[in-house]
Amino acid sequence: MAFFLTTTAIFFAAGLIASVLVLLFFNRGASTNLLHLTLVITTTVCCWMMWAIVYLAQLKPLIVPVLSEGE
Amino acid sequence: MGDYQRLNVGRARGGCCPPMDLMRSEAMQLVRIIIPVESAHLTLSYLGDLGLLQFKDLNADKSPFQRTYANQIKRCGEMARKLRFFKEQMAKAGILHSEMMSSQTHIDFDALEIKLGELEGELIEVNSNNEKLQRSYNELLEYMLVLEKAAEFFYSAQSSAAAQQREIEAHQVGDGSLDTPLISEQEMLTEPSKQVKLGFVSGLVPKEKAVTFERILFRATRGNMFLRQAAVDDPVIDPISGEKVAKNVFVVFYSGERAKTKILKICEAFGANRYPFTDDLGKQMQMIAEVSGKITELKTTTDVGLLHRDKILKNISNLFEQWNTLVKREKSIYHTLNMLSLDVTKKCLVAEAWSPVFASSQIQDALQRAAYDSNSQVGSIFQVLHTKESPPTYFRTNKFTSPFQEIVDSYGTAKYQEANPGVYTIITFPFLFAVMFGDWGHGLCLLFSTLILISREKKLSSQKLGDIMEMMFAGRYMILMMALFSIYTGLIYNEFFSVPFELFGQSAYACRDSSCSDATTEGLIKVRGAYPFGVDPIWHGSRSELSFLNSLKMKMSILLGVAQMNLGIFLSYFNAKFFSNNLNIWYVFIPQLIFLNSLFGYLSLLIIVKWCTGSQADLYHVMIYMFLSPTEDLGENQLLPGQKTIQLVLLLLAFISVPWMLFPKPILLKKQHDERHQGQSYTMLHGNEESLEIEQHHDSHDHEEFEFSEIFVHQLIHTIEFILGSVSNTASYLRLWALSLAHSELSSVFYEKLLLLAWGYNNIFILIIGIIVFIFATVGVLLVMETLSAFLHALRLHWVEFMNKFYEGDGYKFSPFSLALLADEED
Repeated sequence: MAFFLTTTAIFFAAGLIASVLVLLFFNRGASTNLLHLTLVITTTVCCWMMWAIVYLAQLKPLIVPVLSEGE
Repeated sequence: MGDYQRLNVGRARGGCCPPMDLMRSEAMQLVRIIIPVESAHLTLSYLGDLGLLQFKDLNADKSPFQRTYANQIKRCGEMARKLRFFKEQMAKAGILHSEMMSSQTHIDFDALEIKLGELEGELIEVNSNNEKLQRSYNELLEYMLVLEKAAEFFYSAQSSAAAQQREIEAHQVGDGSLDTPLISEQEMLTEPSKQVKLGFVSGLVPKEKAVTFERILFRATRGNMFLRQAAVDDPVIDPISGEKVAKNVFVVFYSGERAKTKILKICEAFGANRYPFTDDLGKQMQMIAEVSGKITELKTTTDVGLLHRDKILKNISNLFEQWNTLVKREKSIYHTLNMLSLDVTKKCLVAEAWSPVFASSQIQDALQRAAYDSNSQVGSIFQVLHTKESPPTYFRTNKFTSPFQEIVDSYGTAKYQEANPGVYTIITFPFLFAVMFGDWGHGLCLLFSTLILISREKKLSSQKLGDIMEMMFAGRYMILMMALFSIYTGLIYNEFFSVPFELFGQSAYACRDSSCSDATTEGLIKVRGAYPFGVDPIWHGSRSELSFLNSLKMKMSILLGVAQMNLGIFLSYFNAKFFSNNLNIWYVFIPQLIFLNSLFGYLSLLIIVKWCTGSQADLYHVMIYMFLSPTEDLGENQLLPGQKTIQLVLLLLAFISVPWMLFPKPILLKKQHDERHQGQSYTMLHGNEESLEIEQHHDSHDHEEFEFSEIFVHQLIHTIEFILGSVSNTASYLRLWALSLAHSELSSVFYEKLLLLAWGYNNIFILIIGIIVFIFATVGVLLVMETLSAFLHALRLHWVEFMNKFYEGDGYKFSPFSLALLADEED
């Protein structure tokens, strides 16, 4: 669980850094900045969800990989 | 509809944050511009250059002919016709008009009209002359053919006749004079003039008609004729139609005047061109010489004529684009001027137009410049009108956001200032696409192809592309986003052309013992923490791969779907808040949120809890028995402490939220309506400011009949749609699972059955074929068809599942009068 929280924090930090970078380098006035922030936050949330779902699904597996005969 | 004024006030009042770009369409205003007649044209042309006004047609009741500038429009139409004529002529002559704008000299409209007229006259004259010359040239060519062929007939006939003559003579000598037909001989001897009376007609007849021609001739003259035909080797240009036709040269011999007239008529009917011919050899030679002389003469004359025409057309082609734009501009300016109503004094024109609020100063500036430039004594007057009409929807998009906005617009143009799903679509659309298209190898291919488009953006945007190319180019940034997300989800799915990589550390699984004997029967065991990023590579190719991935992707689809639907419901909250519609917040947004989350939010929670605890509980069973027998003990399917109570509460909430959605809103609307009616009849007596406001506010609603039953039925439909929809929409998100499964299976089939199979033969030739087929299959099926299908499914998920939670989409698009857009229009 600790790993989950750490990585979540990393995603959060990445989103934060991206937001700051967008604000610094694409400063186009308050309204446009808000749009950019919304986009960055949505991206971060989507990416985090995707990772979190796949990670959690493998946390306590009910089935284990059974190798094929050929290998 | 009177809300729109209040909206702008509400906007100014602000909130916690500045208004977000693209979230709401631009604030619009209805403006009235009063323009003096003398500067009207220039003003309109400046406003057209600005392109931020959508003029209303104030003369809708007038027919096109009754309008003020009908005459000018007619002139423009005439000029456009002339330009089209020039274009046709240029195309015929194979002269391309330069796309580039030549030196932008100012041309006067009237001068251009005269010039176009002159040029047209000149061109028509040159053309008709050329046509005449060409026709006689073709005639002469045919004549030449007739001369040649007919001469052959006569020559061969003469030689055969001479041979016959000799034979007859020889016969007569040998045979004696006993059986000689005396009478005929006598006739032959006494009346040689009758034989000479045989006349003939020569000419050319189209080949396909030759047989019928002969038959008709035969019948008409009752067989008293003799026809000789010879096919001309190459098709001849018919002088009358100017087309290439295969023809036969013919010579008809006949006797008698009546036969002659008949034959001439038949020739005419068959389109057979007749040419005079003589059987005198000397005359023939003379005629041939004459005709060939004429042919060369005509040839030079037509060449000079064509050269002259080409020169005229070349001159036109240099200026064609400029003229064309000018005419188009003038036509659209006059067309717009016709929408303006003429003042009673006939000294000024009154225009009403929608414009974005931000454009006010630009418009006023343009009006001033126009008044100054046209030396008008009075300037134009600009004023903002208050209206109850719903304004058009206008989003200021850029090259990055426009394809996403286009996606939303093709579902329906947003209502004025309602929350625009386009904002979230920019991210969620490529994301959902990528969930179905998760393979970072394929993602990289997409990325490279779109990067090529983006890097050549400047060059490509100036030239005309094919239909499909145009679409790809317009969506280049969307494809870029799709590619980037595909690379991300591909890394999560751990697929690179269906090959897994151990990029993020070692697999979490290992054999149970050193011999690894039961790896194929019992399976491996987990030896360390779960794979840190994405799907463990060990699953790939294992026998339990599908059951693991199916369970994962199915649950993921539901989680993502519930998240996106919740986002949609929250957007409906923002809409209600923006339009300060408390009813929608309390009686639509909240019960909807409760209903969705008490069923599917709870399911999502169970999924996550099941993953975290590793429980064996059967979620289908839990969900189904939550409805069938909510009081029953869960037994081994228990995931949470007190789950039974939780479920009972949630079920109760879900059941309560249905009537909550259904009844209060229409009842409260009716109450509000009744109150307003009473307010009107009583509050006037108080006469304070507040009541006046109510009164004003009421005016806008006065003519709206309140139909309770209609509103109730509307609400009923909405409620049923939402409740059934929340089940079917959640199920609809399972397409994410199905498509991503199909994609990964297809790519693994291509990899294993093409690439690995070809590799196994140990033959360089087979390997090359295998690689080529693999590349074609990957590009054709995975990169083109799968991209399309994933695109379409992502589109559907946005249009139906996401947007029906909040989007009304019954607005109309702002279509400004813009001269800059004219150039793109195809005529």
